[in-house]
Amino acid sequence: MIQETMSGQERFEAVVALETPDRVPVMPLMTAFAVRAQGLTQGEGWRDVDKGFKAMLDTFHDLGGFDKLYKPNLFWPMIGGRFCSTPVRVLIPGRQLPEDSLNQIDERELFSREDYDKLAAVGWNAFWDEHYQVMSGGRTIEQVAVSQNRLLDHYIKEVDAYHRQDIHPLFGAYLDSTTMAFSMARTLTQFTMDLYEVPEKVKAAMDATCDDLIQNALDVISLTKIPLVFIVLERGSGFYYRPEVFEKFEWPYLQRYVDAFLSEGITPWFHFDTDWGINLPYLKDLPKGKCICDLDGTTDIFKAKEILGGHMCISGDVPAALLSLGTTEQVRDYCQRLIDEVGRGGGFFLTTGCECPIDAKFENVKMMIDVAKTYKGKH
Amino acid sequence: MDMIEKRLKDMFLRMERQATVDIVKEGLESGANPFDLLRACREAMEEVGDRFETGEFFLSELIYSAEVFKAVTAILEPGLVSGDEGGEVKGSVVFGTPRGDIHDLGKNIVVTMMRAQGFTVHDLGVDVPPEKFAEEIQRTKAHILALSVLLTPAFDSMREAISMLKEKGLRKDTFVIIGGGVVTDLVRENVGADVQTLDPTEAIRLCRNYLQEEFRSG
Repeated sequence: MIQETMSGQERFEAVVALETPDRVPVMPLMTAFAVRAQGLTQGEGWRDVDKGFKAMLDTFHDLGGFDKLYKPNLFWPMIGGRFCSTPVRVLIPGRQLPEDSLNQIDERELFSREDYDKLAAVGWNAFWDEHYQVMSGGRTIEQVAVSQNRLLDHYIKEVDAYHRQDIHPLFGAYLDSTTMAFSMARTLTQFTMDLYEVPEKVKAAMDATCDDLIQNALDVISLTKIPLVFIVLERGSGFYYRPEVFEKFEWPYLQRYVDAFLSEGITPWFHFDTDWGINLPYLKDLPKGKCICDLDGTTDIFKAKEILGGHMCISGDVPAALLSLGTTEQVRDYCQRLIDEVGRGGGFFLTTGCECPIDAKFENVKMMIDVAKTYKGKH
Repeated sequence: MDMIEKRLKDMFLRMERQATVDIVKEGLESGANPFDLLRACREAMEEVGDRFETGEFFLSELIYSAEVFKAVTAILEPGLVSGDEGGEVKGSVVFGTPRGDIHDLGKNIVVTMMRAQGFTVHDLGVDVPPEKFAEEIQRTKAHILALSVLLTPAFDSMREAISMLKEKGLRKDTFVIIGGGVVTDLVRENVGADVQTLDPTEAIRLCRNYLQEEFRSG
C-alpha cells in the first residue's frame, strides 16, 4: 500500500488542480453494479430508495472504500418540474423491464420540429411547463414534480449521511449539454435531419434554452450543496458530427456553462461518451486546472493526455468490456498503464469508462481500486 | 450516365433530401426507369460510405443519407414490384440487437446502408432472444449474422446465439460480425464471433469480403 497523506476529497481537489497527489484517486461510476453486488435485483433497488442507498454504501465498503462516490442512489437529483436534462422515458426493472434487467432509455421523439419556434420564444422551462403533459400522454408536470421533489429530499439526506462518514458523493447536479438535451428529445436521427434542414431554428431554440438549463443545475446545487456539476455529453462529438457542427451547436453553450459554473465556484465535470478525439483541442481554451475531462474508453485517453496534459484533469477509462469479461491481471495491467502514462505529472483520476457495467466482475472492480492504492507508477 | 441520374447523385451527396426526392419524382413522371434511379441512389450511398472511410464525411452524413435513401425507395417501390431487383444482390444478412438491449441506432444505420448496397437484410429488431437468430439463419439460409449491442449484459445473449448456431450445425457456414459501443476484440473472442467493428462502412466491407471469398471457394 502507498502511504496515504491526503483524504479522498483532498486527493480529488489536487488532481483537478493538476497537482500530483499522494496516490492516484480512484472511483468506479457504480449504480446498477452495486445493487447486484449486494444480491438485490435491480427492481428491488429501484422500488425501494433505502435499499438502493444501502447497496451503494455497502458496496463502497466491500470494495475497501475509494475517493469519491459517483451517486448516493440510483436516481438523479432534480428540482420538481425543472429539468436539467430531457425528460426521457426510462424503462425501469420490474416495471417495464424484467425484474433484474438494467434500466434503459426508451429514446423517442418528445417534441417535433415545429416546437423549436416555441422553445425559442419561451425557453426550456416554460416550454416543458406547457408541453410535458402532452409529451407524457397525460401525466401533469405537477405530478412528476411531486416525485422529483421527494427524491431530491432523499438525495440531500443521503449526501448528508455520507458526509457524516467522510464519504464524498461526486456531484451536486447533473446536466445535459444543449446538444445532448435536444438530440435526446428529438432522437439522434431526427435531430441530425434538423441540423441539416432547419439549423437556424435549432440554434434559436438552443439560445433560449441554455440559461434555463444552467439555472436549473445551479438551483439543484444550492440544495445539494456539492459544488460539482456532472455535464452529460455524447451527442455533440466528432464521432457524430464534423467540427463545424460542434462549433455552432455545442461549444458556445459549453463555454457558457463553464463561465456560469466557475463564477459560482462550481467545478464542471465533462462526461464525454463516444469519441471526442477531434474536439479535445477546444478544451484548451477553457481555464486551466478547473474542469475534468471524463472519458468512456472510446476516446483515446493516451492521446487526450498529450493534448490536455498540464491543462485539464483527465478521468477514465477502464472499459466496460474489460471489467465484465477480462481477468484481474488484464485489469491490473490496464490500470497500471493508465497510471504510468495518463497519471504522469498528476491531473489524473482513475475511473471506469462510463458507468461500471452491471455484470462487472467484483474482483475486477476491486483490482482497479487496489491498483490505485498500491501502484505508484513508473514516474 | 443520364443527366437526371447525375443530378440525383449530386443532390444526394450534397445532403439535400427534398431536392433528391423531387428529382426522383420528376424522373418517374418523365418515364425514367425506376431501377436506374435506384441504382443511382445506391451508387450515391456507396460514395457516402467511401467518403466516410476517408474522413471527409462523418456519421451524421451516414445517418442523413440513410434517411434520404429510405425516402427515395418508398417512392420508387411501387415501380420496383415487378421485374428483377435491378441491382446485384450482395448477400443475405440476419441482423438484430440481442436480448437484454433495446438500442438500435447503430443497427438501423448499418441496416439501411447494407440494403442500399444490395444486401438482403432480415432485421429482427431489438431485445431478440438468442434462439431466434439461429432460427432465422436456418429459415433464410443467410450466410451472415450481424449483432449490435450497447450494453454488456447482451454479451451473454450474443454468446448464446452463436452457440446455438453451432448446435444447429450452422456456424461453419455463417459469418458472425458484431458491433456497438462496448464491443472490443476481447468481446469478439469471448463470444466467439468472427470479426468486430464500430465502423458501419467497415462492417459492410467485411461482409462483402467474406461473401467474395465464399464465392471464390465455391
